[in-house]
Amino acid sequence: MKDVQLRNSTIFLKIIFVISAAVIFFIAGITFKHITVLKKSSKWVEQSHNVNMELERLISYLKDAETGQRGYILTNDKSFLTPYTESKTLIRDSYKKVSALTENSRTQQANLKNLLFYINKRQNYLSKTLYLTQQENYDKKILNNYLIIGKSAMDSVRTKIENMMSTQQNLLQNRQEDYKSTMNYTPLLIYLTLLVTLVLITISFIKMNRDLVKLRKTINTLSVANEASNLAEVVGGFGSWQYNLETNEYNFSDNEYRLLGVKPQSFKPSLEEFLKFVHPDDIQYVIDNAKNIPTNSILPPFTYRIIRKDGEIRYFRTLGRVVTIASGERTHIGTTSDVTEEVYANKFIEDRNRELESNNKELTAFNYIASHDLQEPLRKIETFLSRLVTKDYSNLSKSGQQYVTSIQSSAQRMRILIEDLLQFSRTNKTEKVFEDADLNSLLENAKQELTQIIEEKQAIIESSELPTLKVIPFQIQQLFINLIGNSLKYSKENRTPIIKITCSKIVANDDEFLPNNNMKYHKIIVEDNGIGFDQEYVKKIFILFSRLHNKNEYEGTGIGLAICKKIVENHQGFIFAKGVLNQGAAFFIYLPID
Amino acid sequence: MTTEYINICLADDDQDDRLFFTDAFDELKIKTKVSTFNDGVELMNYLNDADSVLPNVLFLDLNMPKKNGLECLLEIKKNENLNDIAIAIYSTSSSEEHIEETFINGANIYIKKPSDFETLKKILAEVVTINWQYHTSGLNKDNFLMRM
Repeated sequence: MKDVQLRNSTIFLKIIFVISAAVIFFIAGITFKHITVLKKSSKWVEQSHNVNMELERLISYLKDAETGQRGYILTNDKSFLTPYTESKTLIRDSYKKVSALTENSRTQQANLKNLLFYINKRQNYLSKTLYLTQQENYDKKILNNYLIIGKSAMDSVRTKIENMMSTQQNLLQNRQEDYKSTMNYTPLLIYLTLLVTLVLITISFIKMNRDLVKLRKTINTLSVANEASNLAEVVGGFGSWQYNLETNEYNFSDNEYRLLGVKPQSFKPSLEEFLKFVHPDDIQYVIDNAKNIPTNSILPPFTYRIIRKDGEIRYFRTLGRVVTIASGERTHIGTTSDVTEEVYANKFIEDRNRELESNNKELTAFNYIASHDLQEPLRKIETFLSRLVTKDYSNLSKSGQQYVTSIQSSAQRMRILIEDLLQFSRTNKTEKVFEDADLNSLLENAKQELTQIIEEKQAIIESSELPTLKVIPFQIQQLFINLIGNSLKYSKENRTPIIKITCSKIVANDDEFLPNNNMKYHKIIVEDNGIGFDQEYVKKIFILFSRLHNKNEYEGTGIGLAICKKIVENHQGFIFAKGVLNQGAAFFIYLPID
Repeated sequence: MTTEYINICLADDDQDDRLFFTDAFDELKIKTKVSTFNDGVELMNYLNDADSVLPNVLFLDLNMPKKNGLECLLEIKKNENLNDIAIAIYSTSSSEEHIEETFINGANIYIKKPSDFETLKKILAEVVTINWQYHTSGLNKDNFLMRM
């Protein structure tokens, strides 16, 4: 999961959370209000009920008083007056209660005052009536009057009480109206908010689920990558480490421990612990290099020895660099590779190279010295022979003369062979200096070397302009000498040898002999009109000591063209040949243009 | 040169080569006085001796015991008295290194010992009759090596 996605999810969830909390508070508020309204409403109902009850009681007491009084009037029994006497307090108390209960309503309070008047009037006439009847002789008319007035007062009381009760009922209804409206919209609101909350929760759930799935996938990918990386370390024989630039602490991968021959995470990763494994001679070197880890952004590779837990010495190479990870943190990561095989292989190759070099030097020296030291006695032989021939040829017998001639030709062949061998040993490239040389003058020198035979054969040598190149001059000169010498040697009898030397620049792609690439070469062609050779043997002629004629037909050592090939190869070039029997031969020399 | 004879010296440790050398001059019709030395030490002792007649041309072999030709060359070139001697290196070797070194250190000409007596005579004749003053002024590596 990308970091941006993660951040967006977090913000989204925070928003949802805030909204949900707000909604919950809202619901709580509404519910609280609703409950309060409910409580109030029930209080009102209770109150109204109490009021009604008390009013009923009031009228009941009043009736009791009436009844008691009536009973006494009828029977003259004083026991009927008990309810009447008790009723006064009861009525008063009841009245007080009603008054307290309805203290909030001005209407009821006014009604109560009204009621009180009538109650008092009734009680008044009751006592008046009582007093009257307790007299010996009373006027029945007055009694009737009293009774009638008393009854009308009672009716008024009753009416009043009914009035009050209906007022109370109205009051209750009004209050309930309020409650009803609240009752009506509250559930709707609650359901609505509940719905909204449900929707929010669902959205959150879906989002979190999706995020979880993504997270799980990422964790999986990371796990796989981690496993792959661990495996790569095991297979590749290297370990990785991390240096946290903030906390200055190290972290070693499992394989880093295994390389040291210990169990993964078997010690707390640190430089000190690691140094315990480093070879004592290399400790300072490692410390000097490790100093760069906290400070430099690149740790170049350095190689050192460690001694594994089992005592084996291994070569390690460590390198590292600083990377910036997604959160912006910078951390130094690096690898430690076991390069023991590589080091040993290199050492082995170096040793072999040294061996080969010294062998080569020995062989070259041997070749050179042998050829050189062989020349000396041979020269003597030839010189003394020539003295002999000059001075005493006539003194020799016929066979003696023949012998001397044979000895001379053998000696000469031997000399040429040794000269050629010497030449061959000199074409060794090492320690030879490449310098800019004008090939035209090298050609001239070659021609000068061959002056004698050129004159003898009356040969014509034509050449076009040759370039100046970075070469080993004496080797290129030798190359010309050998090729032109061959052309002269293998010229056709009774035909003037014409040797043409031409030069051109070509690209490898365009040439018949060269491999297919875009490298550029100088192409020098030395061609003659001599006896040529069968194209079938074109590869053979460049092989050392390989000849196409025996020594009686044409003298030669079979070394000349091998030397040419070696020279051309020293110059990173190529040599090829084309021949037609009895017509001539052409040699193609390619020297790179760099 | 106003004297009749050309004074020639050869330093060579090889007996046969000394013989060829003196025989060659014997057969040549040039008036020469030839002295030979067996090694570098003998040569330098002679040259450094105040009484000695210095040669016009010195033929110097490279490969000699005790003091080799190159060492003698260096010594001679350091010595102002010996500056007039024309020095011809006379050696079996024709290696690039030898030719280069003797050229750099002031030899006048480099001769590879030939295998044929007649050729030897020709070479020696040519060398001793060169007017060295004119030769050395135009000296470069190309005409340093004696070619026949």
